[in-house]
Amino acid sequence: MVRQDERIRQTNVLERIMARPELGSIFGLVTIVIAFMLLTSSSGTFQAMFMSPTGIQGWVELAAFVGILAIAASLLMIAGEFDLSMGANIAFSGHTFALMVMNGVPIPIAIGVTFFLLALLGIFMGMIVVRTGLPSFIVTLGFWFASRGFAVFLGQALEKQSRLSIRDFVRPPRGSDAADPTWIDNIFAFTQGFFGLEKIEGLGWLSTLKFDAEVYYFIIILIITSFVLLRTKYGNWIFASGGDPVAARAVGVPVARVKVSLFVFSTCMAGLLGMVTVLSSGASDPKAGDFRELHAIAAAVIGGCALTGGYGSVIGAVFGAFIFAIASQGIIYVPFFDNNLFRVILGTLILAAALLNQLLRNRVMKG
Amino acid sequence: MTAPVIEIKGLSKFFGNIIALKDVSFEVFKGEVTALLGDNGAGKSTLIKTLSGVWKRDEGEIIIDGKVVDFSSPRDAAAAGIGTVYQDLALQPLMSVTRNFFLGREMSKGLFLDFETMDRITREEMAKIGIDVADPSQPIGTMSGGQRQTLAIARAIYFGAKILILDEPTSALGQKQQLEVLRTIKRVKDRGDLAIIFITHNDLHAKLIGDRFAFLNRGKVIASGDRDSIDLSNIRELMAGGQELANLEQEFAQQAATA
Repeated sequence: MVRQDERIRQTNVLERIMARPELGSIFGLVTIVIAFMLLTSSSGTFQAMFMSPTGIQGWVELAAFVGILAIAASLLMIAGEFDLSMGANIAFSGHTFALMVMNGVPIPIAIGVTFFLLALLGIFMGMIVVRTGLPSFIVTLGFWFASRGFAVFLGQALEKQSRLSIRDFVRPPRGSDAADPTWIDNIFAFTQGFFGLEKIEGLGWLSTLKFDAEVYYFIIILIITSFVLLRTKYGNWIFASGGDPVAARAVGVPVARVKVSLFVFSTCMAGLLGMVTVLSSGASDPKAGDFRELHAIAAAVIGGCALTGGYGSVIGAVFGAFIFAIASQGIIYVPFFDNNLFRVILGTLILAAALLNQLLRNRVMKG
Repeated sequence: MTAPVIEIKGLSKFFGNIIALKDVSFEVFKGEVTALLGDNGAGKSTLIKTLSGVWKRDEGEIIIDGKVVDFSSPRDAAAAGIGTVYQDLALQPLMSVTRNFFLGREMSKGLFLDFETMDRITREEMAKIGIDVADPSQPIGTMSGGQRQTLAIARAIYFGAKILILDEPTSALGQKQQLEVLRTIKRVKDRGDLAIIFITHNDLHAKLIGDRFAFLNRGKVIASGDRDSIDLSNIRELMAGGQELANLEQEFAQQAATA
């Protein structure tokens, strides 16, 4: 005999959709796109921003860059942790990579060693967090200072300069008029094209639309992480580690290992972006990635990740990254809008998104 | 009557110079509920934790199916068939019913989780003890306290518990939910293949569902027995410490007399 408890409501499709963490960010994205379409139409720059290859490349590439970090930030946030050192690690990886290349290390080996060092850094930060129980906010804040500081120190000590150019040591990447790109440029730092694909015929103005390397990495990483989070055991453990770590441990979830592995993912994503930037621009800038950790966390929050852990999605974080990118690029196309207002818009968006997400979550949970 | 599934003999647990449990003995049979009663600080939590392998015992024996067992971790206890449902249930409120049911023991098809099978099993196992989960993909934050309790019990049973330890399953719930949990316990008991240790400080609930009773007070069993050998009308007094309460009553009477 099975009794249907009278307190279980039948939830309808609408309520199920409302329970999705990324819902708020979809509203946000639609709003921001419409807003900037209207704004650019009235200033006659709509074509330039939304209908030209350069315009689209501008905000898509920025969204991809922030998006890769936002994916890492959202996974960590779902597991109940933060990584404030992401931006600094971009400079750190760029500098270690550039220093190796400048000293004759072959690029593929330099890439491998840089990833290895950043993975070690991730393990180190993660271990401090899970072993000592210190909030990751504080631990990674320490590395926010230390990583960039160490990178700049290394550059000064070994090469007597803070901006490290590798132009004299490698052939320039595709897109410049110098010699042929190396194979490493083709897989790691291609700009404006994918494996030599210069032009897709028959698409009108779209045929000249090509993206930098990070856009393709971004798509691949998004698909993989989204599947891992929603459809694998490990993804289940990420949610549980952030939701209630004590309860998760009680049923055998290796909470510490899950968290450390996500710190490693986060440092390695920063490493990827650092190296892609160096390879495609030809130099490592000590200011590379400045403030990007905050942009990534903002994107994750706009995308519906709970600051307390246990709730969120990578798709939402990616919508958040697009909101960020469209707002920050769009402001350039709207002449009567002061550029400084961008931060005001972004700040308002974060607050509005956080409020909306809170509202939706409470509604769903309380029924 | 057949042999008990689990027998606790002269169990003691000390923390430094504090005697948390002293010489505790009781037994639990298949298809029966042994109600373990006691007030706050009586040693109930210590007993549960010792039985589920969180703490090592200092004296005495735990005998499961005639064999003396020794647990050095909760994993050992679980492997021996002890399923403990703690008061906080070890559930994730924002995760779905299915994800909670299988957390830490997920079923995969290749790389990916096999939601079809897991949803089906969750629905079946919940139905077995009386709750119809229409949608196992809803977050358990939407379920009532009683239903969550049921989920935790169903999970323990499905993953191989022969002896179910229920830690105050009714105490944090509203009246209606309490009754629902009692109904669940009854249904589990009627399956006949599980032995249940029901820890509570509610004498009415114990009376309603218990087959055997043990009363803990300050780390000792002050009374135990089955329905026939124990005077159930005394439950409330035993709970409050039996003789000690009588002594206090006498003390008050003397005070009144001298005043």
